[in-house]
Amino acid sequence: MVRIPITGIGVVAPGAIGVDAFRALLAGGRSSVVEIDRFDTAGLSAHKAALLRDFKPRDYIAPMKMRRMNALSRLGVAAAKLAIDDCGAAPGPETGVAIGTSFGPVQTSVEYMQEYVEKGPSLAPPQLFAESVANAPGSHIAIEWGLRGFNVTITQRESSALAAAMYAATQIVKGSVPSALIGGVEEANEMLFSVLDRIGALAHANGTADEAARPFDRRRNGIALGEGGAVLIAGAGTRKPYGWLSGFGIARDTTASISDWGSDPQRVVVAMQAALDDAELPLESIDAIYASANGSLRGDAVEQQAIQSLFGANVPPVVATKGLFGEYAAGGALQLAAALIALDEQKLHASPGFEQGDLPVTRETRDAELRHLLVHSVSAGGGIVCAVLSREGA
Amino acid sequence: MRKPDPSIRIAVTGAGIICSTGRNKAEVWQSIVEMRAGIAKLTRFAGETFPTDIAAEAENTLPIGRREAKRLSRTDLLAVVAAREALEQANDGASVPLPLERAVVSTGTSTGGLLEGEEYYFRRLKRGRRRAPASQVLQQPTSGPTDAVARVFGLGGGVVSNATACASAGAAIGMASDYLKSGHADVAIAGGSDALCRLTYSGFNVLQAVDPEPCSPFGATRKGITLGEGAGFLVLERWDDAVARGATILAELTGYGASCDAHHPTAPHEGGRGAEAAMRGALGEAGLTAVDYVNAHGTGTLLNDSAETKAIIAAVGSDVPVSSSKSYFGHTLGASGAIEAVVTVLALQHQIAPPTLRLEQAADDCPLDYIPHTPRPMAMTNVLSNTFGFGGSNVSLAFRKA
Repeated sequence: MVRIPITGIGVVAPGAIGVDAFRALLAGGRSSVVEIDRFDTAGLSAHKAALLRDFKPRDYIAPMKMRRMNALSRLGVAAAKLAIDDCGAAPGPETGVAIGTSFGPVQTSVEYMQEYVEKGPSLAPPQLFAESVANAPGSHIAIEWGLRGFNVTITQRESSALAAAMYAATQIVKGSVPSALIGGVEEANEMLFSVLDRIGALAHANGTADEAARPFDRRRNGIALGEGGAVLIAGAGTRKPYGWLSGFGIARDTTASISDWGSDPQRVVVAMQAALDDAELPLESIDAIYASANGSLRGDAVEQQAIQSLFGANVPPVVATKGLFGEYAAGGALQLAAALIALDEQKLHASPGFEQGDLPVTRETRDAELRHLLVHSVSAGGGIVCAVLSREGA
Repeated sequence: MRKPDPSIRIAVTGAGIICSTGRNKAEVWQSIVEMRAGIAKLTRFAGETFPTDIAAEAENTLPIGRREAKRLSRTDLLAVVAAREALEQANDGASVPLPLERAVVSTGTSTGGLLEGEEYYFRRLKRGRRRAPASQVLQQPTSGPTDAVARVFGLGGGVVSNATACASAGAAIGMASDYLKSGHADVAIAGGSDALCRLTYSGFNVLQAVDPEPCSPFGATRKGITLGEGAGFLVLERWDDAVARGATILAELTGYGASCDAHHPTAPHEGGRGAEAAMRGALGEAGLTAVDYVNAHGTGTLLNDSAETKAIIAAVGSDVPVSSSKSYFGHTLGASGAIEAVVTVLALQHQIAPPTLRLEQAADDCPLDYIPHTPRPMAMTNVLSNTFGFGGSNVSLAFRKA
């Protein structure tokens, strides 16, 4: 049995920059979803998102370097710096980098195409093109700290960051690298928001309820879009590990369409059980679940049925973090960071947005003895990645 | 966590390909043997003018039913065509079919459905966001080809999309082999897909990385890449499982190495240090110190071909024959690692090394044997296939003759 320690966390989240602020955000249990003032939402059903406030990239990145980075790269490098500072030790040159991003550089592509239309295909700016690849954030992180291990970017919708963590942990276990930076980046922008709104994916006011993401709640009607960056240091560091990556499981719901969730909870159960098997732990050892739930009708339903099916009458407390900072926040890495902080603080977090439902979803932050947690990501399109996190290394 | 078991051998039991030189393995291999490149005047994006005007386009109408094609992007469709060929081959003649419920899809792409995203964007500019159909852009995310392949073939073992620029498909294939070795899946459909789009066609042009003539990898007059499109897929299984199924084993994936230059967002490290590390990683996992052939990344840019040559010399010496299949079907970006892996498997099966076309004179900084002009029948047991990308990401795959 091998477990991988997480020894540093860097977070640039809506409502929290740095791990201490993120701890406070989680403990406070108040949603950081706000009215959007960054772009025009007139004519759309939804008007709120979990947006970054007070993030000043120049506090983390030299101006000359910053000029070459798009918003996602800045988020990634800033989160990596915060994580490395938190870890207390610079990563070695053999370190790998695995970054997850659900939608990647949509905004950079939009900006490139604006220039393409205005100036013509021959005169669009090369700098924007260089940043139009989804792996630009991971590349800048590698350049900044001289990290020459593997460098991959995973884009698997809601599962992106957990899939990146799975790959990075596998490489450490395999011995390809001694350590890795695992993370995610995401940017809320007008293009993504309006498309998600048009397809009915976003939470919206409907006469009986205000606009809010309500994971696992009976009144839920969509997700809140989030953004941000998060990086975890996997491998030995100077601080006591937040927690340990103990096992992963993957599966796919074959009833899912290409852009929506499926309806077969047994496929989610397969991934949950696979993660437990990989961790060599029995079901009873799971003290809580950090759920994928984001307020979507189908996604939450299939996950809820899976939890009920696997745990039967003994469902442990369930924490749904996406009412706090939205879906896609840091490509899913904020959910993972929240679960690690729960292990570190021995505290279960509140699940804002949840009021009525059939699962034992946490309503307030409270102390709890937590040995092992299940973390889920259930994606539109059918992808499922589950992980087991542990308090101890053995 | 289970460790990927190094004693497990990975069998390639299916391969599929579509690119400018053919819609399947037979057509692509025929073009290789006949020394026929698939590079011509750009036909897409009519009315839009670029500094260069050639490309390696796959045929416009893809061999796929309308019903199946519904809502899929061109990148998705290319993926489905190549994945189908690979899956059919893996089941052909086997006594037991592939366990689809335990099949993971691991795909690389650089831009996913961006071609359709661009059309959506233009429509928004003209008609406003209220009157542009959002359904047109649902498949823009780079998870599109993976989800499409999994959906069309009913695969239940999980989905992992790799968007690591031009190294995407190589990384996707390597990743899949680890998930087989650690028991996370029993079969992997691993590959890559990319359709030409305006952003990449214009972008490489404004970077001045496109050769106005058909690319000439390793050549003295090389000026850059020729942009291409296509998809490639491999079906990977644990060796013993493939034998038990009665499947025909095409080749063995003996190892892979992944590294980063940590040097520059778009340019490779001049000394090829990351490329060398990736090749050493692949050799190390395969337990090798030398190989019989290298299917190079060989893009045709001044920097890549020089750096890769140095890396090859450092990793496997200066006697190894090397060639660039991009001289046939251009640089297929996020798909290149998979398309060229399929070509490498075909080379092992036929025991013929594909040549580098149009190599009239190798450059001074390219002193290796690049197999110019004509295919070379030769004995090959162990070979490497290289894939590098923007961001300095490098992957090298090691294959062995079955």
